[in-house]
Amino acid sequence: MASAILNLFKPVVTEPTPWRDAEFDGIGIKLKKRIDAVFGRSLAIREVDTGSDNSPEIELVNLTAPHYDIERFGITFVASPRHADVLIVTGPVTVNMAQALKKTYDATPAPKLVIALGDDACDGGIFKGSYAVLGGVDQVLPVDMKIPGNPPSPKRILAGLLELVERIGK
Amino acid sequence: MNELVSRMSGVFKVPSSRFQVKYPGKVHLKVSGPEFSGIISDLARQDFLIADLFAVENYRDDTGLTLFYVFEKKGYKEFLVIQRKAEGKAPSIAREFPAACWLERGVADGFGVEFDGSYDIRRLFLHEPYPDGFHPLRKSFHGGPVRLRKDAPDYQFKEVKGEGVYQIPVGPVHAGIIEPGHFRFSVIGENIFNLEVRMFWKHRGLEKLSEGRDLIDVLPVAEAVSGDETVANAWAYCLAVERLSGIEVPRRGDSLRVLYAELERIYSLLGDLAGMVTDVAYPAGASPFFILREEVLRWNERLAGSRFLRGAVTVGGAGHDVAAPDLRALSVYLEAFGPRLRDAVSRVLSFPSVRDRFESTGLVRKSLVRSLSLSGPIARASGVLSDARVDHPYGLYQKIPPALKVLESGDVYSRFYVKASTVEDSIRILLKVIKDMPSGSIRSTARIKDGSAIGVVESCRGQSIHWVYVKDGEIGRHRIRTASFFNWRAIEHAVLGNIVPDFPLINKSMNLSYAGTDL
Repeated sequence: MASAILNLFKPVVTEPTPWRDAEFDGIGIKLKKRIDAVFGRSLAIREVDTGSDNSPEIELVNLTAPHYDIERFGITFVASPRHADVLIVTGPVTVNMAQALKKTYDATPAPKLVIALGDDACDGGIFKGSYAVLGGVDQVLPVDMKIPGNPPSPKRILAGLLELVERIGK
Repeated sequence: MNELVSRMSGVFKVPSSRFQVKYPGKVHLKVSGPEFSGIISDLARQDFLIADLFAVENYRDDTGLTLFYVFEKKGYKEFLVIQRKAEGKAPSIAREFPAACWLERGVADGFGVEFDGSYDIRRLFLHEPYPDGFHPLRKSFHGGPVRLRKDAPDYQFKEVKGEGVYQIPVGPVHAGIIEPGHFRFSVIGENIFNLEVRMFWKHRGLEKLSEGRDLIDVLPVAEAVSGDETVANAWAYCLAVERLSGIEVPRRGDSLRVLYAELERIYSLLGDLAGMVTDVAYPAGASPFFILREEVLRWNERLAGSRFLRGAVTVGGAGHDVAAPDLRALSVYLEAFGPRLRDAVSRVLSFPSVRDRFESTGLVRKSLVRSLSLSGPIARASGVLSDARVDHPYGLYQKIPPALKVLESGDVYSRFYVKASTVEDSIRILLKVIKDMPSGSIRSTARIKDGSAIGVVESCRGQSIHWVYVKDGEIGRHRIRTASFFNWRAIEHAVLGNIVPDFPLINKSMNLSYAGTDL
């Protein structure tokens, strides 16, 4: 107990990371301020893949890995839509995934925000016109934010989140 | 005469003149309906694996449907392709070749062919919303929206009955940041008694999407098969197109392809290693793998302008050149990479609780490799040397073959070890490719001819096959079969007798592509 209290006053003892990216951290710190003010200090995201080529998932996982570590900005990826403020949807919406996406959306408590992430989620991308896809996410759900890219880089995703959160606060 | 031809003409009792060898890597035999079953039994007895089965409508001068059965056998570099007519029906070969079960269901969905004697005739990639009688790969269907059903009956999973047996449905939306799939467990207590994997939630209609397109326009489709296999699938597609058109790839282009392909293998497999360690709740052990992976993704961006190496491979060669200083810098980086990787691996494997979770978990038996046509690291962790770079050498791998480790035990530990050693071997290949990088042009001008050909490449997950048929300068049929398509069936066996909480670890140890399976 005593050491726990003393720890509060000790200087930080973790090693500095060798890959500090001032631009990325700048976006993150702005984002954290908005999240503190608008979302009560934490933004919970549920990811739903409705037909991506799996590269957006890799970049989203990378956001939680050591180089980016976005939990320090108050952002968490949650396991259930019932805990989520935001749904990030990747991929065009396939015929086979449409119902699962709608059910996930219905299970998310209001007010809820939807992000379409990646070119194909934004408007169907190269899959436009295929018998097997309904098109971009906005063909199935109301979309609040589109983050294009094939896939968007971690920095681009974070900037997109900031843009969305800034818009919501106003 | 070709060795495979002389051997098989004896086994089938078919004159060798009936076999065709149009280009190295493939032996072709047209068979009639009455001959077919005997030949299939012969192939099963001779321990052939089925590598693919697909249909083509109006192939060359044929009308109606032609079926192509692609077989391979260890020790032969050629694929043996058996061609026959379908006439609406064909006998099922799934009893001799269980891996053919999903293949036949796929042909039934795409073309409406019925397979007599099949033990499973449920739909595969067309889920419930698709109407009856809809076969998207028929030429009579020209694409576009489909009138979907709203009142479709539920999919019938295999039912396991007995006292105390209950089912756990998982997916298609999972708890983590992963792709969608459905896992139906039949469980007694915590022990898994049966698992049925239901895929194809992400079916995007890729094979149809390629049809009627210009050959270069198909590259983004091939890259989209699976994001982390961008180079592998683009390369397999290009191999097929280059073979059928007789395009030679310049030496520098060939070397750059190996460079990009091995970088892709490294970052993909590092993700698998990180994931396995994360799934046994050891994040500090996983971090070094995540850090290395991010570094490689940044190298991709620096070398080819894309973290996922989009556009790095193109028809006729490579899409991006790499400047000499960048190559030198990469070489320096890779020299230090090996020791860092070995440190991370030994740190994880010296941890008793990791060993306890990895060892004897999720066994894939050696006998499954042939019956399920498993390939890649999964096969190598189960006692079978399987790697398209060795089995069907292409490009520069004919001169720089990989040196691969094979483990016998088939558990999570073996897959971790095999994947780690594959990464290390890729570094060796990269250093050699960089050292011997020839100068000159990176691609030749592509002049496309009509015809058909097969291309096979080793992706991070195993064998990736593209078969391309060009008619009047356009794609008439583009068939894709990834390693994941077959390897998914292995997990149904690997989990048996394991407890449900070990499923995520077993799944991660295979880390298969859902997109690459669903197409």
